Amino acid sequence: MALPLPPGLTQNEVAFLAEMEMVTVVPRQRLDSIDLLGGKTPQLRPPHRAQLPLWLALLLKKQRRANIVPPAWMHPASLAEIIHRETKEDPEAFSPPPPPPSRALYSQPGTARRLNPSYLDDFTQTQQDSQQDPNSILSPPFLPSNVAESPAGYLPYHWLEVAEALLTHAGDDMPAPAGEVRSLLRDLVEVRAAKMRSSTSALEGFGDAYLTLRGVGAMELAENRAFLAGLVDGVRKIGASAEATRREEEEEARRGGDYGGDGDEDSDEDMGL
Amino acid sequence: MDIDDILREVDPVSHQIPQETRDLQDLTRAWVAERSTPELLPWPSNGLFERINDKIKRQIEKVEEMTGDMDPKTNFALIVIQTELERFKYLVRSFLRTRIAKIDKHLLHYISNDNLRTRMSQIEEAYARRHQLLLHNHYLNSFLGTFPPAMQNLNDTAGNISMIDSPDLDSAVFIRLLRDAEIECHGVDVDGVLTGKEGDIVILRWSDAKGLVEKGDAELV
Repeated sequence: MALPLPPGLTQNEVAFLAEMEMVTVVPRQRLDSIDLLGGKTPQLRPPHRAQLPLWLALLLKKQRRANIVPPAWMHPASLAEIIHRETKEDPEAFSPPPPPPSRALYSQPGTARRLNPSYLDDFTQTQQDSQQDPNSILSPPFLPSNVAESPAGYLPYHWLEVAEALLTHAGDDMPAPAGEVRSLLRDLVEVRAAKMRSSTSALEGFGDAYLTLRGVGAMELAENRAFLAGLVDGVRKIGASAEATRREEEEEARRGGDYGGDGDEDSDEDMGL
Repeated sequence: MDIDDILREVDPVSHQIPQETRDLQDLTRAWVAERSTPELLPWPSNGLFERINDKIKRQIEKVEEMTGDMDPKTNFALIVIQTELERFKYLVRSFLRTRIAKIDKHLLHYISNDNLRTRMSQIEEAYARRHQLLLHNHYLNSFLGTFPPAMQNLNDTAGNISMIDSPDLDSAVFIRLLRDAEIECHGVDVDGVLTGKEGDIVILRWSDAKGLVEKGDAELV
């Protein structure tokens, strides 16, 4: 009954998560709103676009009830731009994640506010505007990063899974021949896989406290999770005794300093006496 | 759908996230977190699971009612509802099974400490206690009973070595920062302070990440 899997999401679980990403569809027939557990679906009226979770969009696509509008980042020009950035401009890091989405404010025309409130925002203003709980910050797969309006030139967190699903089931909706998109994606996968492998050399000192992988995708993480986590844990276990010694020394040095301070105070008091 | 619903849909002011959607997000986040951490996380205290269980129950009843109807139009809606229902059930089931796996692995650790015990739901605690009881009785019957009485306990702490196994809280986890934050990280050779930007994905020790995750500044991925 207990789950036999080790900690950390597996590829299948990541693919399941990616199916919650919202995508834009163009319905081909009317469909009334359905009362689902995750909220009502929008009423579908051709040719008005609507946003649906990927799993539902794929179901509609398979039944030829709707076409899927591929996200802007999947256009060949956008993919080529990302590949250029990954190989030429910054051959070390992953390309940055999409910028946080913003919305125009109703109460202050002309002002834009980020969809996710940050510390810098005035929370009362935020709450007036949307009655949103300041603690509920959206993150993938619930950010609208794969809809038709999402910005080109940025890879969202679930890029590989979404692209794979769309190419397999909605290849005819692609802006370019599916083969072209597929070969660009393959280039991207290879470039980034090489970066993933070399990222471990950032732990070269074998003692760093952390490793940052800004812009990495969910599937890439799932593939390398066991290796990376094993590496970090292994280094920690090998160095456990050295670390304990270092900590003790630091603690002693700090305490030594404190005692020195106390001693000074004592002598001051002595002088006063 | 009446005129109010239509107005609400096109109204740019109320882009408020509906409760159902928020529940799904919370459930997903709780599941991912539980799947990724080395130790058991506190049971969601805001009645999230009770609410979701109720809704699943109601949805199942609705499906049962609708199956009698053979109209092709509602038939498709039924397929969609059932697909979604299965997705929800998978999330809930996987979440609970992950927790049971963690409880099973470090049974005594979670039952013997008052602080840790509150992390379990009532049912989980009852399960853990019964499981421990069965296990201990089984050991007593098969071999432990022949030992001297002083050695029949499973929670000895004599000689500064505790018999109670506990999870490794320093295991590496992957987190995503939801807000800009400074993280104090402990390493083998150096301790460092990482100035993280929103959206960064960081590998670090769970003991360092825990505070951030509890504050809502970061989430597990």
